[in-house]
Amino acid sequence: MRLFTIVTIILTLFIISGCSNTTNEIVVYTSVDQVFSEPVLKEFENKTGIKVKAVYDTEETKSTGVLNRLIAEKENPQCDLFWSGDPIRTIVLKNRGITQPYQSPEATDINPAFKDPQHNWTGFSARARVLIYNKNLLKPNEIPKSIFNLTDEKYKGKVAIANPLFGTTTFHIAALFTTLGNEKTKQFLTALKVNKVVIATSNGDVKKQVMQGRVACGLTDTDDAFEAAKENKNTGFLFLDQNGIGSLIMPNTVCLIKGSPNTNNGKKLMDFLLSKDTEAMLARSCAQMPLHKGVKVPAGVASLDSIIPMKVNYDKTAIKLEEIQNYLKAWAEQ
Amino acid sequence: MVKLNNISHTYGTKSVINDLSLSMEANRLTCLLGSSGCGKTTILRLIAGLDKPASGEIIIDNKTVSKKNEIVVLPQNRATGMIFQDLALWPHFTVYKNIAFGLTERKEKNVKERVIEVLTFFGLTEHANKYPHQLSGGQKQLVAIARSLVLKPKILLMDEPLANLDVKLKRKILDHISNLIREFNLTIIYVTHDHKEAFAIADKVVVLNKGKVEEEGSVEQIKESKNEYVKFFLEY
Amino acid sequence: MGRTIIKQPLYTIVYLLFVLLVVFPVAYTFLLAFFNIDSLGKNLQLISIETVLLLLKSVLIAATVALFSTFSGTLLGFLLYKTKMKHSSFFKLALLIPLFISPYILAVAWKDFFFIMAGNSNIISSELGVALVLTTIYTPLAMLITGNAFSGIDSKLEESGFMIAGFHRTMSKITLPLIKPAVISSFVLIFIFSISEFSVPAILGVKVFTTEIFTQFSAFYNHSLAILQSALLLIICLLLLFAEGKYIADASFLSVGNRGNNTKTYQLNKRRLPGFLFVIIWLFISVILPFIILFFQTFNNETTNFIRAFKLLLPTFGNSITLATTGALVIVFIGFVAAYKNYLSQTQTKTGKSFDLFMLFLFATPSTIIGISLIRFYNHPALEFIYSGWTIIIIGFVAKFSFIAARLLGNAMKKIPASMDEAAQLEGISKFKRFLRIIVPLVLPSLFATFIISFIFSLGELGITIMVYPPGTEIMPIKVYTIMANAPQSLVSSMTLIVFSVTLLMIIGFYFIAKSIIKKQSYVVG
Repeated sequence: MRLFTIVTIILTLFIISGCSNTTNEIVVYTSVDQVFSEPVLKEFENKTGIKVKAVYDTEETKSTGVLNRLIAEKENPQCDLFWSGDPIRTIVLKNRGITQPYQSPEATDINPAFKDPQHNWTGFSARARVLIYNKNLLKPNEIPKSIFNLTDEKYKGKVAIANPLFGTTTFHIAALFTTLGNEKTKQFLTALKVNKVVIATSNGDVKKQVMQGRVACGLTDTDDAFEAAKENKNTGFLFLDQNGIGSLIMPNTVCLIKGSPNTNNGKKLMDFLLSKDTEAMLARSCAQMPLHKGVKVPAGVASLDSIIPMKVNYDKTAIKLEEIQNYLKAWAEQ
Repeated sequence: MVKLNNISHTYGTKSVINDLSLSMEANRLTCLLGSSGCGKTTILRLIAGLDKPASGEIIIDNKTVSKKNEIVVLPQNRATGMIFQDLALWPHFTVYKNIAFGLTERKEKNVKERVIEVLTFFGLTEHANKYPHQLSGGQKQLVAIARSLVLKPKILLMDEPLANLDVKLKRKILDHISNLIREFNLTIIYVTHDHKEAFAIADKVVVLNKGKVEEEGSVEQIKESKNEYVKFFLEY
Repeated sequence: MGRTIIKQPLYTIVYLLFVLLVVFPVAYTFLLAFFNIDSLGKNLQLISIETVLLLLKSVLIAATVALFSTFSGTLLGFLLYKTKMKHSSFFKLALLIPLFISPYILAVAWKDFFFIMAGNSNIISSELGVALVLTTIYTPLAMLITGNAFSGIDSKLEESGFMIAGFHRTMSKITLPLIKPAVISSFVLIFIFSISEFSVPAILGVKVFTTEIFTQFSAFYNHSLAILQSALLLIICLLLLFAEGKYIADASFLSVGNRGNNTKTYQLNKRRLPGFLFVIIWLFISVILPFIILFFQTFNNETTNFIRAFKLLLPTFGNSITLATTGALVIVFIGFVAAYKNYLSQTQTKTGKSFDLFMLFLFATPSTIIGISLIRFYNHPALEFIYSGWTIIIIGFVAKFSFIAARLLGNAMKKIPASMDEAAQLEGISKFKRFLRIIVPLVLPSLFATFIISFIFSLGELGITIMVYPPGTEIMPIKVYTIMANAPQSLVSSMTLIVFSVTLLMIIGFYFIAKSIIKKQSYVVG
């Protein structure tokens, strides 16, 4: 009887735990690595007194939880704001009618190229695709300068990329398709396969493999590369194709979720995320490049002005991404 | 006192008892004798109310307790006690607790006195605080009997209670059993495959074969039976 | 039906709640996928010969893992539960350790080990590597199940064998056949675990059927195809269960001891050293080696990440332990009710069979699909109180693990002779009292073992939890998983060691609590 009572009390507590009536809160889903996103959200909480309830996931872990959760919750959204590490996932949501337009005053001076024309999403704090390399395995004159160098015989079996079906790698390849065209990109990818490119499980795995010297170099994002360089003096990174097609710039993006419970607080958080202060924080913590002008960045963090960016239309890239998925799957499984 | 009228029973598709009729007098020891698989244990379970007959009826003290596919009177209300083949002593209870459990749960009075009385009767007092696994085979048998008797049943069903005991111990317990009828005013239905056991204590013997009665009668009548099966059974 | 409800109100309530709250959401998701004519036709075309071959490959890997785990687990079970090996208590606990650690962490440790030793991890990044890692993870489960079965063999049965034949013949003709139901149960459980396992093949870069399902979800957002593919997986598992049920149902060998602790244990004599060596080698491969790697990764030239890891995980301890404990209690309760019903009926009734089937259905369904199903069903204003609280996570745990609990407890209850219950029934003891005073004490050790296993699995559960956990809740496996994406290896390894330590401490705590309850029960039924 006692056990029954205890169990009943516990179950009641569980149900009560779901009935919180706090109104001054905001629910955020983010695919940005928790180590970087959490401090920013805590800062917002401290400044505004609005309780932030976050659901974390990462594009490294394929955003299984967050994006599918947002899609599944469409009819009764729980999330107020989605903070993504790239524009693609936000565009997926926009195309499914899950986002709500909002034009933040903080985003006025952000380049329109990094904003949705209908204001469904706004970009900030960008990463870029870079080449990470092991200094012990590649002399300075051996380091590839272009993505197309990776198909050279001398790099056979020494280059790693993350699974092209997920994360920023998909984005990168989709961007190549829209920039170079189908034929050229397919030729490049075939050549990569012939050159025995190593398919890692994630960008983090690429970083690890390069650091451990399992491969000489690999494609990853600036935050991974920055971390690697901090951890290991023998790791370096560079922006590819600075004399050619340029490096892919991937802004973080934020969007409001349509029909969410706390839209006003969502707007406040969006304003906060799009502010120069947040960009400065992210520059310090994970080398993300501010899209606002005049934001102070630490040494070692590149400025967007110093990089030749790849010219991409994010909406078109998102469409292309869905078109090439089957091809990429077959390519990865060869 | 106990009547089985045209009882049949199956386990799955296998017929175990087929149109069997039998009566057992009150305050007597009736022995069901037969080889393994002849239906002896099934009859006990039907009388106890643990199984339902596929057809026929069971009457105890002129009251129908079971009929076709129906338990009319629940087992706990039939005033029957049963000694199972494996004794079914609860291993997590002491001897005292094994015997007292039924009394306590029924909220009966003078539990302690009644338990001590029955423990003394069977010479088990010194083993009261032991667990079943600490007892010998014979002691376990006695505890199983004591446990049933403490509840003062009218009918005691015993399913091969002496199966694993030596001759000396068997004789001792058979003496106990013989006294039970007088001491406790019982009707005993005793199942065994050993005719020597049956002849030692039975008032009436029923020889069963493949779910049917081959012969029934007093010990003498059975010994002198002309029935081929009975003669064959007694030889071995 | 009405009479059944009145006769068995608790069972009926539990059954209905389970079906309504747990089974229905997932079944509904499958039905939607099958009855959506537009997508069904399109998706069926995508299920190609390659898909079938991939499924066969996964079946082969899972069967290999189940076979090797059951074999080594049975050997370990024999050595540790049936012989007088020194320090067997220590080994029994130590060898369970792989169950306390998330599979993907072990996969990473193995990958690093091969890289350090061999210069590359190609050996482990293969189907054989997947089988190796999964075997080391699941062997403890087989050891537990078969060890329990070995402990339940009545000494008389083996002793009667020794009257006729020697040790080897008795082992092969009497002892091993007696534990056959446990061996088969172990094989089936591990097979289903292995074929549903996603993280280890993903880390090792091996394509299996579950990675394909995951890809459909996360790269193509093709939920309906992912669900259809999961249905193929389910069919395999159901076929296996059907075959198992058919085989074990015919087995007439169930052993019950009338004396407590009367199972025979053997001196190994000249086999002592090989036996001991086998245990030590297994311990080294499955526990010590991965831990050396983890320690190496953690403390390689620094300790700061260990402290950082502790600070990161500290806020998660309370939530995770409470959730896992509650989840385990609910899982054990449901498994017990299901098992007890079958015990009472002696043969399985229709509702008993359907209960088993539902639990298997959920067990074999990939976690992501369960997560999606729960979101779709419970994310409704009227059910907010369930969806936005911890109840939704508990429902997920129940969905995933109640099958194991019912299976373990069912096997334990089979060992209790019906006569124990019937003797009490004849004494006029009520059904509830018989349940509480006779049945529960007799299965208490198994209840505890099932609770511990349910606790370990719930504590480490990620696939469903990551889909449904309430925003702002800090839970251990999610924290590890999200942090590990962009954290130095030493931080990840530190977190793993901390999670392991917490799990171990909790189990030790539960053990002492259980010991104080069970210590008076100096008996064994079978």
